[in-house]
Order: sequence, then C-alpha cells, then structure tokens
Amino acid sequence: MGWAWLILALATYPWLLGADLASDVFASSSLTLFVSGACLIAPSRRLRRWQAVLFAAFLGFLFEARRPVPDGTVALVLVASVIFLSSNRQLLRNTPGMLRAAVIVNILACLCWYLGAAFLAPVVAVDPFGQFCLQMLVAGLLGVVVLLPVALTQNAAMDRLGVPPAPETP
Amino acid sequence: MKEPNDMRVLPSTPVGRLRLYGVFAFFLAGFLYVAGGLAYRQLVQAGDLKEQSDTQSQRVVLRPPARGRIYDRNGFALVDSRARWSVKADLAALQKEFRSEYLRLIAAEKARDAVQIDRERLMEVARVRVLQGWLNKVWFVIDETNRSAKLSRPTSKVVPVTAPGERQISLEQLRRHLRERRALPFTLVSDLAFPGANQAQTPEEGSRSVARFIEQFPVEGPIRLESDNIRTYPYGALASHVLGYVKDTDQLPENVNDISDVRIEALQKLHYTGKTGAAGVELTYNHVLSGQTGWELWTKTSSGYNQTRLKHSEAAQGSNVILSLDYRIQQATEAGLAKIKDPQGKLLPAAAVMLDVRTGEILALASQPTFDPNRLADRVSSAYYDEVDKSGAWLNRATQGLYSPGSTFKVITAIAGMRKKVVDWDDVLECGAFFKVGNRDFPEHEPVGFGDVDVDKMLAISCNVWNYQVGLRTGIEALSAEARRFGLDSPLLNTVSDVESGGLPMTELPFAASRGLVVPDREYKLRIKAGPWNDGDTANLSIGQGYLLTTPLHMACFAASLARGETRTTPSIIHDARRDGRHQGAEPIGLSKAQLDAIHGGMVRCVEEGTARVARIPGLPYAGKTGTTEYFQKGEKAHLAWMIGYAPADNPVVAFAVLVEGQLDTNTWGGKTAGPVAKEMLEAWAATADSSSQPKPKADPAR
Amino acid sequence: MDQNRQGARASYVALAIFVALWVLLPSAVRRLNREAFAEFQAPALHLLGKSRDMATFWEKKSRSTEEMAAAGRDLARINAALEIKLNAMDDVRRENVRLREITRYVVPAEYMSVVARVATRDSSSWWQRIVIRKGRNDGIRPGAPVVFGNNVVGRVTAVHLTTSEVDLVTSPGFRCTAYLEGDEQNRIALVNGVAANSLGTAKSRVSVIPHDYTPPAGQPARVFTTGMGGVFPSRLLLGYLDGGTYSTPVGNFKESLLIPSRDLYNLQEVSVLVPLHQNPGEALMQGDQFQ
Repeated sequence: MGWAWLILALATYPWLLGADLASDVFASSSLTLFVSGACLIAPSRRLRRWQAVLFAAFLGFLFEARRPVPDGTVALVLVASVIFLSSNRQLLRNTPGMLRAAVIVNILACLCWYLGAAFLAPVVAVDPFGQFCLQMLVAGLLGVVVLLPVALTQNAAMDRLGVPPAPETP
Repeated sequence: MKEPNDMRVLPSTPVGRLRLYGVFAFFLAGFLYVAGGLAYRQLVQAGDLKEQSDTQSQRVVLRPPARGRIYDRNGFALVDSRARWSVKADLAALQKEFRSEYLRLIAAEKARDAVQIDRERLMEVARVRVLQGWLNKVWFVIDETNRSAKLSRPTSKVVPVTAPGERQISLEQLRRHLRERRALPFTLVSDLAFPGANQAQTPEEGSRSVARFIEQFPVEGPIRLESDNIRTYPYGALASHVLGYVKDTDQLPENVNDISDVRIEALQKLHYTGKTGAAGVELTYNHVLSGQTGWELWTKTSSGYNQTRLKHSEAAQGSNVILSLDYRIQQATEAGLAKIKDPQGKLLPAAAVMLDVRTGEILALASQPTFDPNRLADRVSSAYYDEVDKSGAWLNRATQGLYSPGSTFKVITAIAGMRKKVVDWDDVLECGAFFKVGNRDFPEHEPVGFGDVDVDKMLAISCNVWNYQVGLRTGIEALSAEARRFGLDSPLLNTVSDVESGGLPMTELPFAASRGLVVPDREYKLRIKAGPWNDGDTANLSIGQGYLLTTPLHMACFAASLARGETRTTPSIIHDARRDGRHQGAEPIGLSKAQLDAIHGGMVRCVEEGTARVARIPGLPYAGKTGTTEYFQKGEKAHLAWMIGYAPADNPVVAFAVLVEGQLDTNTWGGKTAGPVAKEMLEAWAATADSSSQPKPKADPAR
Repeated sequence: MDQNRQGARASYVALAIFVALWVLLPSAVRRLNREAFAEFQAPALHLLGKSRDMATFWEKKSRSTEEMAAAGRDLARINAALEIKLNAMDDVRRENVRLREITRYVVPAEYMSVVARVATRDSSSWWQRIVIRKGRNDGIRPGAPVVFGNNVVGRVTAVHLTTSEVDLVTSPGFRCTAYLEGDEQNRIALVNGVAANSLGTAKSRVSVIPHDYTPPAGQPARVFTTGMGGVFPSRLLLGYLDGGTYSTPVGNFKESLLIPSRDLYNLQEVSVLVPLHQNPGEALMQGDQFQ
C-alpha cells in the first residue's frame, strides 16, 4: 500500500481542479477558492503518518506550482497540519471535529499563502485588509462545504485501496 | 466505547449538536455577509462615506503647483517642466545580499591568510559591491547598445560596459548617504532620461531609456522607480541670463494659512520644499509663474497612512510668460559670440542685445560666458557652482556689465554739438594726427590724421580729433546733459502698461543695472575726490572714454531711439502684441532733417566703407557705429570692442549693440571683433523677417 | 499511544530539518520541483480548456439555420469593408517600407505571433493571471507581450512545456509605459496593475500624468503603449482612463485608474508576441550572469 497516498491524491485532484474552475468563474472578483486544507482531513484519519505527509506535500506543491507564492509555503504548512492531525486523531473522531479541523486547517493554509504572496508581491494591493478578511471567510466556508463530498470520495478510494478504517481512540 | 467512524452520523450528545448548529449558524451568517456585501457593491455603486470621527488625527498635504512655462515670442517653450525618473535601491531590502557578500569577502580574506581583517571596511566594500552589481544591471537594461543582443548569443557573456566615474559607485558616496540619509533609499541613477548626467542624450533617447527600464527591469526586488517633476530648459544654456533658474525653498506658501480646520501642530510638522525663481525672468516673474499651492486635509490612521480626504484646494498651475525674445535670433547671437575666442581658445566675455526699434521689445539678449540652468534646477553640485563662479558667468554683461561706450558715444557728441550750434552738419573741421588740450596731446587713431572732416565722414571713419574739438566747444555741461537726455545713466524699466493683456504689472527688467551707471560732470569728479574737472576730461568724454560707464542694453536703446529720431526707448522682455510704440520720457531729438540725415548717412557709410565694413551685408544696408575703448585689466591696457546700429537703413526695424571684453593677449578692435557678431544677428533677423510664414512651434521642443 | 506521541515528535523534528534543508537547497531544485508540479497539471488544464471549447462548439451547433444565415450575411459585409481597408493598408505598408529604406530606419523589435487559447483564469489580490495552452514547445518565452487584436492583455510571466502563465494588465506585477490620448507632447506615463478591491473589478493605475494634461472632452481618453521600452509594440490600446484624473500626494503629478481595453476575464484566445531577438530585460530575468 506504499502508493496509496498518490492514488488518493489523484482521486482528490478533480476536486482541486473543480475549485480552480470555480475560481475561474469568480475571476473578476479576485477570489481564489482554496480547498487544499479541507482535503487533508479524511486521509489524516486513516492513512499512516508518512503517507499522509506525502499526500499533503503533494497537494501543497500542486497549489503552489501555478501561483506566485514563495516555494514550499503551502506545502510545509499542510505537512505540519497533517502531522498534527494524524498524531491527534481523537480530534477527528466525529463530524463536528472533522468540520472544525477542516475549517481551521483550510483557513490556516489560506492565511499562509495569502501572506506568502503578499511577501512576493511587488506593490501594495488596494484594499488588502478587506480582501484578506473575505479570503479567510471564503476559505472557512469552503472548508465546511467541501469537506463532506471530498471526504466521501476519499473514504471510498481508501476503502478500495484497502486502507484500514480509522483506529479507535479512547 | 465504540464510536461510529462513519461521519454521516451526527453526534448524539445534545452539546455536540448545539455546537454543530452554532458552527453552521456562524457560517450562514458569514455567507449572508458576503452575499450582502456583493449586493451592496453592485447596487450601491458610489455610496457616500461615513462621517469621519473627530478623534482621528488630521494631516495636511501640500501640493506644490506646476510652474508656468516661459515661451519665446513665436510660442516656442524656452522653459518647461518635465517628469524626472530616478532609480533607487532599498537598503533595508538589500541587507541579506550585503551580508552574504560580506561573508564571501571574509572567507576570501581568510583564504589569503590575512593577518588582520578590517571587518568594518569589508562591510563597506560588500555594500558597494552589491550596489554596483545592481547599478550594472540597470545600465545593462537602459543602455541602447544592448538592443541587438541576439538570442543565439550565449547570454552569460553579456556584461554591461561600465564607464568609470559615471557608472561607478564610490565608497565616499555610500558613506555620505549612510551618514546623512540613512533612512532613505540610495539613488543609483538620479535621472533615467539623462543617466550619468549625459546631457548629450536627446529627449527621444531619454524617453527610451526611461521606457526600457520601466518595461524591462524586474518589478519586484529591492530596486525602485521614483518620479518627480523638475524644471527643464530645452535649449540648455540658451538665453540663460534672461531666463534665470530655480532653487529650492522651504517657505510655506501664503494661502496655506487659510486652512481653518487644521490644528497648528499639523501645519508645523509640515515639511515643504517647493521651487522658487532664483534669477532672471524666473525670479522677476516668480509671482506669475509660481501659481497657487494646493492643499489637502486628510484623516490619518493610527499607523500614519492617509485615509480620507476631508477638504482640499486644487493647486493652480502658474501662468505662462511670453517673452519678446525670438529664439532663432537669440541662437544666432549666441553662436556669433561663441566664435570670439582668445589665442588659447577660451571664450571672451561678451554681450549682445537686439531690440525692436518701434516697441523696444528685446529680440535677443546674450551674455557670455553662460551657464546651464538645467544643472541648477535640482540639487546643484558645488563643483558646477564653482565652475560658473570662476568663469564669471553669473554676471549678465548685457544689462549689468558697466563699460565705457568708446567711439559709439561720438554720435552723442555730434548731436550735442549740433544742438548747441557749435558745429553744423556741413561744417568741415581740419583734423590732424593729434589735438593739443592744455599741454597734453590727444592722438588720432590714424597716425597721419584725416584732414578735412565733416559729421558724415567723422562717423564713417570714427575721427577722434573732430570730437575733441566739438566736445571742447560744446562744453562738459551740454555734453553730459545730452548723454543724460538719452538716458545713459537711468535705470531701465520693463513696461507692460496694459495690465489686462496678461496681468503682468510693471516690473524692473530682470537683472538690470540700476546702480553704477555714470555720466560724469564737474560734481561727479569732485564727489569721487579726483580733483576739479579739466578740458582733458571733456576731450576724453567726447570720445566716450574716461569716467563714462553704461551697459550694452543702454547703448542698444540709444541706437533704437536714434533710429526713431527720439531720445528714449523703454526696453521690454515681455511680448505684447498691442504695444503702441510710446516710450517713457521720449522726446524728439531736436535736430533738423539735414542734421539727422548727416548722422544717419555717416553711420550707413561706416558699414559700407568705414570702420565696420567687415560687417557689411550685401542687400541689407544698415547704420552702424563701432568703438574701441581702452580699459585697464590688472594694471595693463586691454581693449573693449563695441558696435551699435540699426537696420534696415531706410526704414529701421531693429537696433542692436554688441560688446566684447578684449584680454591682454587678444587683438580686439570694434569693427573687426564686434562687427561679425552684429552681422550674424542681423542675418538671423533678416531670415526671420523674410519668411512670410511665421514658424509654428513644431512638436514642442520640451524634453 | 505513547508510541504515537513519540512518532509525532520525531515527525516534527523531521519536518524542521526538512524546512532547514529546503531553505538551504539550491534554488534550481526548488524551481525543478515547481516545474514538475506545473507540468503535472498541464494536461488537466488543457483538458479544461478543450472542454470549454467543446461547450462553445455545441452551443454554436445548436443555433438555428436562420441565425447562421444572418451571421453569415453580417460577416460578408464586414469582410467587404475589411478588404477595402486591407487594400489601403497595402499602399501604406509599401510606402512605409520605402521610407524605412531611405532613412535606413532600424526596426526596433520584430515579433513572432503565437496564437493561444485560454485554459483558465486565476485571480487574487496579489495576482491576476490567465493560463494559456501554449508553452515552451511553441517558442514562448517569459516577458513576451500578450495581446488580443489591438488590445494589450498582459505579459508572459512563467512558461512551462505546454502552458504559460500570463500576468494581466491589472496584475500588480505588471508595469509598462503609456501615452495618453490628447497629450500632444507624447510624455510618458506609467501603468501599473493594482488588482482589485474586495469583490470589485480589477483595474490598473496610470500615474505620472503631467499636471497640465487634460483628457479630451466627450469620451474616455485612450491609453496607448509607447513602443519605447522594447517590449510592447507601439500604439496598442492598454485601456481607457476611468473618469477624471486627480493629483497625487507626491511628485506633483496626476493619477487615474485604467479600465482595461478588453474584458480580460472573458477572453477565449490571445496572441503572444514573442520577440525574435532577446532584449536585455529578458537576459536579466534568465540569469545569474552578473554574479
């Protein structure tokens, strides 16, 4: 099952692409729909830690590849989050826990890319604070909205791959 | 303790459920907020901003207005403003690069087994190296010669050519910056359009340098582009003495006191630097050119950024000034003067003026040596200031230079003699090789004398002895009274009597001499404690030497007055199409037609066959009178060369005066030295008068 | 449980070490990594673009014959008008060539035009980009101007094998020089992307407008490229000045917002003008030749 993380990533990719497509639709409003954080939750419950780490890094680099963000910002934040989640699986025991984690991780990663991009940007944006709040809010919302369908897809994929169900926690 | 791992099952505990609803409610609220915001933005396009709270601090921003332009009489801009683009390096953003270069240098020192490492010096060297690297990159982009860098060529070999001096950052430069302006970015290129103070670059090439940097240099990084507005003189040093230059001022403009709402402390903190005229028309008409300073009252956020503009007053651009100069005649005049050099090839100090006979408008006014106001428009380098100072270029010799008029004064002697009826136009005087006054021989400039001389011949050949005789017969009182009647010692006013025609009130002529002018008489000599007046002094005055001091502009005005048959001409540097040709204090000369004709004929002969014949212009007969005056330079005799006159001979339109200060080692003679300049001026004037179609300013010469 | 905790601690340590390594790693490795992930996504982006084209195709296919006939008639008219213009152009071109020969005029920059379809758009407050379906394989190089017809779209910022990213005129990384309509002296103004307010339309800023510039009355003033910087050809339309111009706090100039000439978010196809010769700026972007 060494390649489970990659197959899982490929299974998740259409959702990321879907988010890009939606960003495209909203392009005139300068919003980037960020969902990579929300995609980490289900794998963190079931994958082994190293696999989850590779999965997170893969997602992070995918996001960065096409955007002017300092190399590794998103990937490293996602990896750190995944290490934390997979070490504290009791937090993901139930749906509220997962939703909470999705929101927090998604906002955190979104925050990191936003600040990272600001660091690289040559000029000060017109209304960075307003846009920042909006972007965070949207990231949180997306964490909630996207978690259920993505987790369903990912669980189905993991079931297929024979990844053991989430171990019980006391 | 078996928990369902299927997340579709909602938690069964009421607390968990409540929390979940809470989260949903929160996000629903968020969603509504976003949707509402969207609707608000879309529907209420330009809603008024809320009232600002009084607790926010306020701040005033001053907007210096653009100065007005200065045009010549045909509408060519002689003075304009332009954007100046500069490239600066953000030192804070370069810290990392400084550090790594420093470490590299340390490593190199260690590798050399250096006994003692001067770390402070290495840090400085590292800074200079990093900045030099960036400067090289800037030059690489703006240098035109790199344009054809082919793709096929290995790019690693493309290294910018650096000329020493202009493209090199020195240790001193950086030290001075760190000492005085540490917080500010370091200037790599102060003027992209003329990098390395390359004044030879054309405006077109300048624009290209700017555009190349803007479009090709990476936007991100520690190198910044800044722009400001500076005064520009498109023709360089042309007419610099008339135009003057501008300097910095930190005086608050008056109208700022009107901002009632602003607290005093906000105003006091205001740092203001604007430009103000420092010389010439820029100074004299500063009130017209400078315009109205605008201001804005902003609320300030806690972090110091401007937030909302509460009140404002737009800056009003200064009015333009249209000078009476014709830049083509001015150019020809300066070109003519620039041909006069001493044996070492150094320019001789000189001045030339041309006036419109009827209106007194100055068509050209040049003084040599000149300075380039472009180099004074911004921070002036002390080197350039000293250079100008040493060359004596600050002095406007045409209006401030005080000289004895020499033989050109003989016209006044003749007029005085005829008005006092001690000589008439057809009287013939016997003129030998010298004339004895008291026990001293006053020489003729020809060793053999001229024999029988009348007024006409006297003016043509510039006979001295005739003037000694007539001068003594006329007497000092009548002679100096005549000189005063022509205003040789009166300050000259620049009049625009009609205020409606442009709102320019009567002002003194820029840079005009109002002191030091001398028409000597008995009282004058006593006043300066030089003893009682004697006949020798009168003889000297009769040929325009001795104590008499006046300016080239005065002599040009005299020539213009003579051409009209009047005594005074009021010169003006401002163009006004409605000038009526009346002049302050002017009266008819008071000679018969025959007498005037004799003077006129003599001056025309002077050009045709007399002392000014080198300046003859075929097809354009004109009246002229030359003069060569002795003056003392470092205790030794040198000569001034003069020529005055008016043209054309039969219907005078322009009058002129040319003066050249000869040096000890130069051979300076009135007609020979000053004549060619007069010729060039007149030819340029004839060319402008000739072209039936007045020139339209092409694409503005502004750069 | 303890084992799990210990493993977590080890993971964090490993992550920290990795971060340190990542920072110290040569930039080439990071660039390679970025490139690899970009290439991984390229097929998907192509697919996205193609499916969009397909949707358009089917949408067109569903039009009625009457509509098509009407469109064909309109097209024929436009064609006829254009043909006349083209003939006139030929004369002008010949004259131009003749004059250039007489004056030995050096053509400032020559371009190879590459037509590319738009794959996807991507915008945030820090960048405004589109991804196009042509890349290094098609000869596209970074820094090349991107246009649509006579309108400037932006500049290529990153090139992959089969896709490229284009910074739009409204992107904060975009900078170029401009002439303003009605300024007879052709003084250079500066155009910068500024992205957008939250949820607003992205715009650019035109700055360093001379104080005495007044836009022509009646219609919004057009803003053109200068062709002086060696990147954009001259007289391409950048956009229109948005309303009035207003003074700036420093430098004694005016400023205005720029509305881009095309609706940048509805573009289907653009042309990349790849310069035949490399300009110094491009050489600078590529390299460490100054170190």
